[in-house]
Parts: sequence; structure tokens; C-alpha cells
Amino acid sequence: MLMPNAQNTTTMLSVRGLTKSYGGTIHALRGIDMEVKKGEFLVILGPSGAGKSTLLRCLNRLVEPTEGQIFHNDVQITGNRRNLRAVRRDFGMVFQQFNLVRRLSVLTNVLTGRLAYRSSWRSLFYNFPQEDKRIAIECLARVNMDHKAFQRADTLSGGEQQRVAIARALAQQPTVILADEPVASLDPKIARQVLTYLREVAHELGITVLCNLHQVEYTREYAERIVGMSKGRIVFDGTGAELTDDVIHRIYYRDPDEETAEEK
Amino acid sequence: MTAVSFETAVSAGLAREAQVRHRRYIKQAVWGAIAIAVLWYAAHQIKFSPYAVAAGVPFMWDFLTRLFPPDLSYMSVLGSATIETIQIAIWGTLLAIILSIPFSLLGARNTTPHIIVFHATRVFLNALRAINELVFALIFVSAVGLGPFAGVLAIALHATGMLAKFVAEEIESVDKGQIEAQLSTGASRMQVILFGVIPQVIPSFVGYSIYRLDVSIRSATVLGLVGAGGLGFSLIQTMKLFKYHQTATCILVIFLLVLVSDWICGKLRRKVI
Ligand SMILES: Nc1ncnc2c1ncn2[C@@H]1O[C@H](COP(=O)(O)OP(=O)(O)O)[C@@H](O)[C@H]1O
Ligand SMILES: [Mg+2]
Repeated sequence: MLMPNAQNTTTMLSVRGLTKSYGGTIHALRGIDMEVKKGEFLVILGPSGAGKSTLLRCLNRLVEPTEGQIFHNDVQITGNRRNLRAVRRDFGMVFQQFNLVRRLSVLTNVLTGRLAYRSSWRSLFYNFPQEDKRIAIECLARVNMDHKAFQRADTLSGGEQQRVAIARALAQQPTVILADEPVASLDPKIARQVLTYLREVAHELGITVLCNLHQVEYTREYAERIVGMSKGRIVFDGTGAELTDDVIHRIYYRDPDEETAEEK
Repeated sequence: MTAVSFETAVSAGLAREAQVRHRRYIKQAVWGAIAIAVLWYAAHQIKFSPYAVAAGVPFMWDFLTRLFPPDLSYMSVLGSATIETIQIAIWGTLLAIILSIPFSLLGARNTTPHIIVFHATRVFLNALRAINELVFALIFVSAVGLGPFAGVLAIALHATGMLAKFVAEEIESVDKGQIEAQLSTGASRMQVILFGVIPQVIPSFVGYSIYRLDVSIRSATVLGLVGAGGLGFSLIQTMKLFKYHQTATCILVIFLLVLVSDWICGKLRRKVI
């Protein structure tokens, strides 16, 4: 309802035949195909071990996929490691454990989202251009954390840390935000607050958000589109209304016979 | 499970427990015997002898009485040697702190540019650690001449080995999540080191540097024995001239210096950690 109309039809990400195996034996992804539109708020739902984190990490190349292609704005980003920094800059990431640098201030943490825009030599003096500082404070204000800019990150509560982490991702001025179980360590009230911020980001800034969750409840409340994953495969792709008990059963409890058949 | 098969399972478990326990007893007995044999042989080799200690008591007593009483007027002469000792320790440690920054980064698996560089750095640092300050001092006395600067270099090299290895291990144990978050923004390796690694290791680096300063002050008190400046030089000179009351003063001053240094460094360390 809030979505900007024209942008809505552009494909932002396109994943084709993506597989990932660790050490040749653990098959974390077994052939993922999906398309994600610009400004979409997409929830990837699945039990622990389904391959959700691996999928997100493949998208910004923290993990190298075994096979398959990823297109970002119609440009293939797999295979070539030369523009790695530029690709990662375009994908903001939000983690379950927030992963702020605990001993740095909130503002410096957000400023690290600007590092990919600046040369290493400039960073040597821990000094950022005025423009970066403006961007960082704007991003903090967007998640209502600008009043704590000079506090050390480890003095914040979990919910506040996650908001700062969102601000850090926004400071990258990304086209996509990848959130890996962003609310798994938060209590329900704070979790809803964080998910609301993420959804706002998608609607107001037109940033595509892919959010991993393992809780059906939050998924129903927030997702516009849901991709259900189980054992490295997409087993559902639809809206909250289509997420019936039957589908949930398919995502969370797969027939063990079917599983052994796959392994062969 | 039926009652009978349950009973069999339990007794099988108990039998297995006894078997495991007996194996452990045998293993402990074998290792105990080996330890005793090694210690016995070593004692024999080093001519361990309580009798020699007893026989030496009169001589030690004689030496102690000759030290007594310390010549307290000599303290004023030792003032400059004491300050020199502290200066050697401070400059030696400072050089070590500066040198250990690149060496710790090269010698940590997660920040080294190449695994070969990592191994080479670790071997080099272990060599620095293996060589005692006194041995380094001997080398530097012949290289740069008698005096405190040889002592500074000796302390600097040995402390670099200790400090850089410690910091390298701290670097290897940083929280990976904070690093991954920086990598995911598209930051370069160097930027990740600056904003992800360094903030995490700063407290232990500072804490250990202060501890190293304390250790260096202790080492600097004996460097004079080989002519590398400081209180040790007064110590060996007064002994050579048989001025044992002055030697006693040297020992007393060294003791006080170490005491004060331990107290101050301890306080500083608690403050930063
Ligand atoms: N670095 C790794 N090395 C080996 N196995 C891994 C690694 N990362 C993930 N896995 C395995 O891949 C599978 C999928 O993991 P993951 O993507 O973390 O799932 P999820 O995020 O849905 O819980 C699991 O079986 C996990 O044990
Ligand atoms: Mg996960």
C-alpha cells in the first residue's frame, strides 16, 4: 500500500541455480532460484540450518557460492573478485549479534559504513570527511539514535545496538539490506520496533530488504512476500495469506524419507 | 524396553565404567613413574645436594655479615644510576611498543599478508624471546660501546619479541563478528584492521605494555653487569672493589625500585583494563 509504484516492477536481484557446499559434504544450498524487486521487503523463513545465512552471505560475497549466478541490477556479481568492495558496499548487512565494534562510539560505528567510499590511506588517521559525518548523523536520526552518537557502542541496550547497526548499513547508501535474524536476540517489543524500522527503510528509501527469520509469527506480521526455505531449497514463495499451516509444516518438518531420497 | 534388557544395559554400563577407570589408573601410574625417573636423573645431573647447601651456610653467613650494614651515604651517589636504569627501561619498552605494532600484525594468522610471512615473523619473534636481555646486552656493548644505549637496545629487542607475540595472539582471538561486519561494508583489509581489529586489542596491548615496562625495569637493574649501564654497573663495581657495604646499598636500592615499579605499574594496569 505504501510502496512507490514505478520502481516496484524493476528487478533488483536475480539468483540462478545457486548452490553452496562446505567441504564438498555439507550442502547448505541446493539450487536456489529467485527474483527480488526493488524496494521489496522480503522475509526468508526457515528453521535453523535451512541455509538462510549462507544465502545472504553469498549475496554480498562474504561466502563464495559453489555454483550459480547472482545478478544485481542486471549485472552479474558472481565469479569476479575484482570489484568485491564495490559489490559489498551496495549491500548493507545487519546481524543477529549486531556486531558493532564495542569499544568505538556509536557515530564511529556508523561512519565505518562509509569506509568503502574512502581510501585506506585517509582512514589511517581515523578521520572522515565532513560529508560522511553528515550522512552518518542523518542515518542515526532515521533510527532515532542520534542522541546517543558519542556514547560507546557497548553501553547501549540490544535494541539500541541493532538500530545503530541499521544506521551503519544505511550509511553505506546501499541498494539492498541483508538482515540475518536481526531480532533473534531481542525481546518481542524491541523486536517489533526493529522490524518496523527495517520495513520503513524499504518503503521510504526504496531499499530492497531481505530479512531472515525463523519465527512464523513475526513473518506473518511484517512480510510482504515470504520465501520459505528448508534444507537448502526454496519450498514456498508467496504472501502472508498463503502461508497456511500446511505450508509451515512443509518448511519446518520435512518428511525424513524424502530427505534420504535427496541425498542420493 | 523390558525390565530384563534394561538390567543388562545397566550392568553393561557399569562394567564399561570399571574398565575405563582401570585403564585410567594404569595410565596415571605409567606417567607418574616416567616423571619420577626424569626428575631423579635431572637431580643427579645437576648435582642436587642438600649437603652442599648446609656446608655453604658459613660462607653465606660470612658474605652477609660483610654486606652489613649497608652504607646509606652511598645512596646519594646511586641516584643518577637509578634514574639511568629507569630511562633505559622506558626507552627500551617504548621502542618495543613501536616495533611490536607491525610485527604483531604480520605475526597473526588473520592479519598477515601471507602465511609464509606469518611463520617467518613467529620464528623471528621466538628468537628475540629466546635470547635473554643480558646476552643481547653483551652483543650491543661490543657493537655500540659500553653504556646505557646498549642496554636500551637489548631491552627493546627482547621486549619486542615478548610484546609482539602476545599481541599477535590477542589479534587472533578478536571477535569475528565485528570483523565480518566491517568486511560486509566493503572496507579494505587495512580499514578492517584499523576499525575492527585495533579497537579490540588496544586494552590488552596497553595493559601488557605497562607490565613489560615493569619487567624491563627489573631487567635494566642487572644490565650493568655486562657494562650496559644502570644500577647493575654500580653493583659489579663495588663488588670488584670489595666495598661490600656499598654493594648492600645497591641491592637495597634495586629492591626498592622494583617494589615501587611494581606498585605503580600495577595501579596503571588496573586503570586501563
Ligand atoms: N562455515 C561453515 N562451514 C561448514 N558448514 C557450515 C558453515 N556455515 C554453515 N554451515 C552449514 O550449512 C548449513 C546451513 O547453515 P546456515 O546457512 O547457517 O543456516 P541457517 O542460517 O538457516 O540456520 C548448516 O548445516 C550449517 O551447519
Ligand atoms: Mg543463520
